[in-house]
Amino acid sequence: MSWPSLDRHKAELVARRDLRDATNEIRLILAMVTLTLAIPIASAVGIRALAYFGGGTAVVNRLAVVGAFFVVFIPASFSLVLALEAFVGERERTTIEVLLSTPLKEAEIYAGKVAAVLVVSLGLCYGGLIVYCFAVFPGLGFFPFGVLVALAVSTICQVAAMVAGAVIISLNARTMRAANVMASFIILPMSVVLQVEAALILLGRAELLWGFAALMIVIAAVLLRMGLAGFSREALLAREVGLSKPLRRAIGSVRAAFQGRPGIIRLVWMRRTPIAVAAMGFIAGIALGFAAGRTGAIPGQVVKPVLSSLLGASDGATQGQEALGIFGHNLLAFVLAALLAIFTAGLSGFALTVLPGFLVGYAAALSSWSVALSGVVPNGLVEIPAAIIAGGLAIHIGASAIHMEPSGGWTTRILRALADYTRSLRWLIPALALAAVVEVRFG
Amino acid sequence: MLEVHGLAKRYGEVLALHSLSVRVEQGQCLVLLGRNGAGKTTALRCIAGVIVPTSGTVRVDGIDSASDPAAVRAKVGLMPEVPGLYERMSARTYLDYFGSIYDLESALRHRRIEELLEKFELVDAADRWLGSYSKGMRQKIALIRATLHRPRLVLADEPTSALDPDSARRAWEYLKELQDDGCALVICTHSMEEAETLSGQIGIMSAGRALAVGDLAELRGRSGLKSRRELRELPTLQDIYLAIVGNHHELAEPRSA
Repeated sequence: MSWPSLDRHKAELVARRDLRDATNEIRLILAMVTLTLAIPIASAVGIRALAYFGGGTAVVNRLAVVGAFFVVFIPASFSLVLALEAFVGERERTTIEVLLSTPLKEAEIYAGKVAAVLVVSLGLCYGGLIVYCFAVFPGLGFFPFGVLVALAVSTICQVAAMVAGAVIISLNARTMRAANVMASFIILPMSVVLQVEAALILLGRAELLWGFAALMIVIAAVLLRMGLAGFSREALLAREVGLSKPLRRAIGSVRAAFQGRPGIIRLVWMRRTPIAVAAMGFIAGIALGFAAGRTGAIPGQVVKPVLSSLLGASDGATQGQEALGIFGHNLLAFVLAALLAIFTAGLSGFALTVLPGFLVGYAAALSSWSVALSGVVPNGLVEIPAAIIAGGLAIHIGASAIHMEPSGGWTTRILRALADYTRSLRWLIPALALAAVVEVRFG
Repeated sequence: MLEVHGLAKRYGEVLALHSLSVRVEQGQCLVLLGRNGAGKTTALRCIAGVIVPTSGTVRVDGIDSASDPAAVRAKVGLMPEVPGLYERMSARTYLDYFGSIYDLESALRHRRIEELLEKFELVDAADRWLGSYSKGMRQKIALIRATLHRPRLVLADEPTSALDPDSARRAWEYLKELQDDGCALVICTHSMEEAETLSGQIGIMSAGRALAVGDLAELRGRSGLKSRRELRELPTLQDIYLAIVGNHHELAEPRSA
């Protein structure tokens, strides 16, 4: 899908109205501004006090930077509330139908609403950040310009991701109550992002924040595109009939997802592209692992315990227990890859082939190809194709999760992808069992 | 002006609208009657280009709604059953916003807004937030908004249901003025008085189907009712409506695929 063309003037009209709507409730504005100013001032007082009472330069400096991330997070989270109000609120109050009956394109409404929320949220975020910077850094004798720029970029993307996530919620929630509950699915990952950013600073690896900012750009772009693809008149207005008996409908949908699905041969042919991607992942994993082993980019003490634990997991066990252990481990990896694919856009499926490939390549770099390959032959002849198929199907699950269409059908597509994966386990589980037995007997 | 052919809309298993075909000429009015859930609102939404029909075609002023829905929406004024007003906007600002969306030139927009506010006696309240308006005032604003850009086709879902008799009569007069200017009207209503006042054609709907479409005389003939000799009156529209819907009672049952 390409980004659609839009009349900027029309989008501005929508944005201006939404902006006025968000800012003409004085109590809401007062609460947001007070929080935005109070948090940086309170944080600054804490940091200054720590510095004054001899908290140690390194600790104070790192906490001062971490504080900037927390100061920005609270106003960034307002974007979620504002976006839910702009999308679900309008739907609940039926004002959206009137807007949709005008000649405005969906993209103009979407862009206008997103822009209005971004302006308010980013204004508060950067306002809070500026207050914090003025209150903290002059007294500390350093100014982490690079980190703060990375934070500024990352914040735009975090806010954009939250707004886009709110749109996706609005397409699946009919009331503000439901939308607020579903918003946890956005706020929780975002709080994890905040914690990882804080951990990077505390570990003294602030340079990695740029990588994180890049990742946030990708996530925000994917979510914005999903929101735009799903934000349609049809999705917003046409699904309001036949909503009784939700449990029975849910069971019916799951049942329908399993009906009329292709057999394994046809499925592999239909999903040849993601399966090819998974196969490429295995090769890329070998190359990366080999390069990492040769260059020492990843220290041996990080990878060796993984290799040793895999090799030494069977110490003292009978052959049956050993085979069962290998089988259980592989099966768990397959199941987790499928479930996590929904939340990782299929990256977990890619990991299913990249990681084993990486370990083979790394082992080859440290010893030789013959030693490395002896670890995966002959069981790998069954296990690796099974992992490639499972990986490809998991990638397809992820692709279904990030693909929205104006006509809807998002849940149906994910359910079908999961049903295909589940049905393929009828073949993949025996393959894993065979591989485990072969590994124990001949490996 | 409006040509609808074989229009159908399915929501999952529910067939909300089944093969509706109607034609409304310039300056004509079609009134859709039918019980709740008969498919009238779905028909209006499909005609307005707000939702995509499952099958069938809609042409407004010669433009196919499937190929250029935005152009169709620009020619249509939709007044939904629920006014759907922004509560924290004044009537003037609200109407100005929608006028801008329809690309009405600034001076013309302001003139038209004032003219319509005056017509509906809302000038004094025009700078108050819409959230403080009564139900009837909201409905008037919704009617003004739907007709502000002088659409070629007005689609109104129960346009006077919240109005007092005097205001309702004023709204009907306004709709008739629009008709005189060449605007086509499609009105959904439960009010027989409204239907008789406005209509040229009447469509009686039940269970997503148009059971009968025609003028009052045609429907009278089709209903099978005789004139009420004891009162020396012809059957009223209400009699005709009940007779036609009653004859198709089985269609009123919940329908699914």
